[in-house]
Amino acid sequence: MSVKYVPVQWNRNKWMYDGFLLVGVGLFLGFFLHIRPDFLSGNDPRINAQILNARAFGVCAFLMLSIILSIGPLARLDPRFSALLYNRRHFGVMTAAVALTHFGFILNWYFAFSKSNKYEALLFANTNYGQIAGFPFEMFGLFALICLLILSTTSHDFWLKFLTAPVWKRLHYLIYPAYAAVVAHVALGMLQDASGNVFPALFVVAALIVAGLHVAAFVHDRRHGDPVAEPVAEGWFRICKASDIREGRARIGLLPNGERVAVFRQDDKLSAISNACAHQNGPLGEGRIVDCLVTCPWHGFNYDVRSGRSPAPFTEKIPTYNLKVHDAEVYVDPNANEPGTYVEPVEVPPLEGEA
Amino acid sequence: MSTAELIFVLVKAWLVTGAFVSVIFLTIGIDQIDEDAQDAYVFRPLLVPAILLIWPLVLWRWYVLKTGRDNPMSRFHPVRKAHDVVAVMLAAAIIAALVAGFSVRQTWPADADPVQLSEKSESSK
Ligand code: FES
Repeated sequence: MSVKYVPVQWNRNKWMYDGFLLVGVGLFLGFFLHIRPDFLSGNDPRINAQILNARAFGVCAFLMLSIILSIGPLARLDPRFSALLYNRRHFGVMTAAVALTHFGFILNWYFAFSKSNKYEALLFANTNYGQIAGFPFEMFGLFALICLLILSTTSHDFWLKFLTAPVWKRLHYLIYPAYAAVVAHVALGMLQDASGNVFPALFVVAALIVAGLHVAAFVHDRRHGDPVAEPVAEGWFRICKASDIREGRARIGLLPNGERVAVFRQDDKLSAISNACAHQNGPLGEGRIVDCLVTCPWHGFNYDVRSGRSPAPFTEKIPTYNLKVHDAEVYVDPNANEPGTYVEPVEVPPLEGEA
Repeated sequence: MSTAELIFVLVKAWLVTGAFVSVIFLTIGIDQIDEDAQDAYVFRPLLVPAILLIWPLVLWRWYVLKTGRDNPMSRFHPVRKAHDVVAVMLAAAIIAALVAGFSVRQTWPADADPVQLSEKSESSK
């Protein structure tokens, strides 16, 4: 959470996370470079150290990207995977660094001996855009690299606040075309090198897992999406029965303007706040209240559900909503209050069995 | 000037403009539009690479915030609808790329002659 910006918000957990990540990358590269280089070279003597390095870093970046892309749909399929969302940005930055190293090896080997400048050579050594075999697959890689650089350089919290979470998220949707481009880059590039089967198998399995998880999450969201709030008289919208909301939990309703409201029960009093966390718009309604504060399931920001404010010294605020209870049904006014506006909680009968 | 050189010049111009924007934004602009950045200097150089890449977006947001045109509620309007479409498109693109890759993949005995797939590059003509 922001107070004053610092270069990187590290804490003990993040140090450990980043440490594991670095060791993982090191082990992976060590394995493919020194223990089983034949997996990437097929024992072809023309594959020199420079090419092998390029390949190992490329494969590593591809697998890291596949893991990153799998975390989102996994978390939607089963909330227990939400823990993996923590620190995903550090993972992303490290992936961009590995991809950049791959690019460096390629550029300084395949394009370094051209008569023109090596960047121009990269762009124009092959211009056969009209065919699949021999397509300049480097362009896919270049596109993906630019996307990854944009994503990793805009990963600081400053950018979230400055651009706003929705704009930042839109920008970060670049990860999807980037991944598709990486798959095309490998499919038309390294996959065409027929030597060895280890790499093609690894590649196809990883890409299919990512594709499959995204389709599965899509189907899951269709089936279990948030219910649409029903309009009733005088502009109020019905969300659910008061008894549907468990203690410390929320029910989420989709309002006509596309906003989502989360109605929480705390000590048998109801409060309604925006479902979108101020950080990255994580689903607050899927969090639970502990000590009067709801914790965002994505990265752990806290808010008081009565006022939509983060506890001091943090300054995050989210909109609150007015609500009323009539005949044991919960109604919300879809016009949100200014972020951070206190709303008196509405008392409801205790839940049966818990009274 | 060849197309390659032109692209190269344009890329350089983009980055140089970005460098100007970062100098001005990080010394003057940022203090005006984000109170959390006031008196915080160490993190600022970290923002330079992003400004080099997306400076038009920076100028636009700076303008919106500076002129008070920012709608505070827009922050709480997550882009979730697009997610469905994007997920399906991603899966389709992955499958398409795999099919394309395997359809042209050649398998040959190790000693077969290589086949020239594409035109020779300009420099080797
Ligand atoms: S979205 Fe990151 S903490 Fe809520």
